[in-house]
Amino acid sequence: MKTLFVFLSLFLPATWSLGAFAAESWGLPEEEKTRFEAKVVDALCELTGNCVEQCGGGKRQLGLLNGEGKLILPLKNVTPFAGATVELLEFCGKQVIADGLFSTNRGVQVFALQFVREAPDGEWRRANRFAGQWAEANGVDAKSKTAQQWFRHDPAVLKVIGRDGKLGTGQ
Amino acid sequence: MKPYGVVAALLAASVWVAPLSGAHAAGGSVRVAGEIIDSWCYLTEIMYPLGTAHHQCAVWCAAGGVPVGILSDDGTPYILLSFQGNAQSVTDPALLDLQTHHVVLEGQTFERDGMHYLVADRLVEDHGIINMTHEDYGIQPFGE
Repeated sequence: MKTLFVFLSLFLPATWSLGAFAAESWGLPEEEKTRFEAKVVDALCELTGNCVEQCGGGKRQLGLLNGEGKLILPLKNVTPFAGATVELLEFCGKQVIADGLFSTNRGVQVFALQFVREAPDGEWRRANRFAGQWAEANGVDAKSKTAQQWFRHDPAVLKVIGRDGKLGTGQ
Repeated sequence: MKPYGVVAALLAASVWVAPLSGAHAAGGSVRVAGEIIDSWCYLTEIMYPLGTAHHQCAVWCAAGGVPVGILSDDGTPYILLSFQGNAQSVTDPALLDLQTHHVVLEGQTFERDGMHYLVADRLVEDHGIINMTHEDYGIQPFGE
């Protein structure tokens, strides 16, 4: 069953056909489909007052501050093995409608962003921009298998795994 | 007043020398000992998320901008928002290099809406990878 969860949460999101702009199940623990309005904030700035322009320009983790003042840190977008900052950066300081999944496990609630639009009535888009941006940055076709499996071709990954091995022990 | 001063000094000393098993106060900041983790896989538990078995996946996720965390020895997961004065918490090369290592970090902790965060000013100790989980779990998630 765990293998199924992995497949659903890591791979189906990148390939599903988009019938409606609404969250789809990934089979996560205590999963809850959700849609809420929130302000996109720089998480470090929100917590410590250490603030920079444009929420750090993509180098800082971004949070979603809802109407009740709850800070929600999206851990994931729908590109395999990628986070949500790339999806939210252009909305820094703005209100968005975030659609995705809450999952509660180990006593912590996390959020995976699947769709986003600017509030109140911006155009929906799927939170899958990472691979396209990665492809552009690395000079490959965004629809190529290399871009889809970016994690097997990323220069930073190849450097670390090439040096330390898949186990990290040098084996 | 003197006895109070002695008591205060002893209390302060007891905090300073307390065994490191999670987060402890250390002169205005705290030290957190634990394993550097991929927050998504650990918190959703969609696969076995720790040690050598999950090292490659953790590097992938860190490179992809998934928040890197530290699982303290007392079981508290922290999201790292800054490391050694560098506020680049998305794809920080230094954190890619530390994935799966057992480390001691010093910095400030924050708790907000059920999530723990760490602004790590200093890497105090790096014990390398000590959690050899591949013998029991293989390589996660694809077995290669």
